[in-house]
Amino acid sequence: MNRWYLLALLLLLAVPASAAESIPGDADADGTLTRAEYASAALAYLDTACMGGTGDLDRDDIRDAAWVYARWDGKPREVTDSTGRTVTLYRPLRRVVTFSGESLETLRSLGFDMDRVVAVDKYSHEKEAFFPECRDKANVGSIWSPDMEKVLSVRPDTVILYATISTAACDDIQKRLEASSPGIRVLRFDCFKPATYAGEIRTIASIIDETERGEEFASFYGSTMDQIQDGTAGIPDDEKTRVYFEYWFDYTTVAASAGYNEKTELAGGKNPFAVGTTEYPAVDPEAIIVADPQVVVKLAGQGLAAGGYAGHDPEALAAIRSALLERPGWSRISAVEDGRVHVIHSDILGGAQHFIGTAYLAKWFYPDRFSDLDPHAVHQRYLTEFQGIDFDLASRGTFVYP
Amino acid sequence: MMGFPANRLFCLVLLFLFVPAAVCGAPVTRALSTAEPGNGEIFTASLSIDGIALGGVVETLPAGYVFVATDHPDDRVLVRGQQVAFLVTNDTQITYSVMAPASGSGDITGTWEDFLGESDGQIAASHVAVDGIETAAESGGENPAAPEAAPQFAVVAAAAALLIAGWGGRR
Repeated sequence: MNRWYLLALLLLLAVPASAAESIPGDADADGTLTRAEYASAALAYLDTACMGGTGDLDRDDIRDAAWVYARWDGKPREVTDSTGRTVTLYRPLRRVVTFSGESLETLRSLGFDMDRVVAVDKYSHEKEAFFPECRDKANVGSIWSPDMEKVLSVRPDTVILYATISTAACDDIQKRLEASSPGIRVLRFDCFKPATYAGEIRTIASIIDETERGEEFASFYGSTMDQIQDGTAGIPDDEKTRVYFEYWFDYTTVAASAGYNEKTELAGGKNPFAVGTTEYPAVDPEAIIVADPQVVVKLAGQGLAAGGYAGHDPEALAAIRSALLERPGWSRISAVEDGRVHVIHSDILGGAQHFIGTAYLAKWFYPDRFSDLDPHAVHQRYLTEFQGIDFDLASRGTFVYP
Repeated sequence: MMGFPANRLFCLVLLFLFVPAAVCGAPVTRALSTAEPGNGEIFTASLSIDGIALGGVVETLPAGYVFVATDHPDDRVLVRGQQVAFLVTNDTQITYSVMAPASGSGDITGTWEDFLGESDGQIAASHVAVDGIETAAESGGENPAAPEAAPQFAVVAAAAALLIAGWGGRR
């Protein structure tokens, strides 16, 4: 029973922070904050804050009004998220909860003030090396097990969910938020798909009014992806590099519907096991030998914990590779004979950093075509220039081997 | 080997402590046409503003001093008792005039806020005294006086530190 009282109290608390259905200071409520309305509102705020007046606007209100007046030309901003839903923003994002680490990372790439992110999903919370600023933020769990009380307790004005994966779980969170606190804006983005990421960068940049930075980042991202696309263009299907891509688990590969297969194909690889509807099907060990892949890529990460941002451990990735080489019959595989067996960490292939991992794949598949592509340099520039974190790849983290 | 005298080190520490404070000052400063107006004299206060696109300034006059006029547009000014609010919209200068009482001294204090930059602070206080005659404290403002002497003190302290450091180094 106490739990219900607590939830009711949280709902009451959440309402003021989420009352985002009008522009603060828009006295005639016509949806446009005119110069005169802004001036009147700002003077009323100064009167209340410093001169003993009794106006309604608080500091956040007038700061939001100034933002809308200066950056959105006094009008609400309409954005279309990756579900195709149009959301009207009457205020900038001030208290954001992200259930998606990829969106969180993209916000940081775009220079968003991370103090405005008030809570994050459990996985981002755990990534202390990559998201050190999230260590002290509230943890709202995962999309499959969200802590809705925690979400409401941080009084968000915006909650970010995934758009096209785990849609049932994200739909459920959205419905619960809309039912309890309709003023909370729900935005849904993926931020990990090559086909949509550049557009999402620009949309999110527009939301947070960092369009210049958005163009800069989209251009950086696009230049790497374009280089890969250009370098693999025109390769006849029967001349493409045959690739066996192994998921975290032994003898488990990626099929056509898996994101890792998409990146393999973007890099010009041909996956002989890209059939069937199962995303990560088990594969017959003998079939791998028969397929005779020219390159083998093994994925490390959550299900095969080694390397990534969490630790500088090249030996662990080397050991994973050695175990592959020792598999029965593998000495006959072209990839093994030619020394083209690689290990890659999902940190740079599965999420917003997929362009870095895809660059490594392209270089492994076609070393001659991509001799001037330097994925390590792309990675370091991304961390330093766009993520703004002090992370020296020479001494921290392990992402590929060799 | 040349040593590093303790007094020189101390002075350098002083430099590091005070110079940044002097250089990275508040975005709003105030200058008065006179700090010692005569009885009933109208004098001007000029606010220099740096880098505030949208924000506000609230000035508080000492008791007895009266706000007279400003060059700022009417719809961006609000007067309430001893306080005057100015709305800042990319302005770099706001000038207003004040009439001094028959006698009395006090501080003109002020606060600023940058709405877009999401920062705020106090403007260093400016002391005024009719005919230069100090009277008992009777500031009309509710805001505590900002440490007016801080920037000047910082410059003096820095200059002194440099002199002493140089002197210490030659010994």
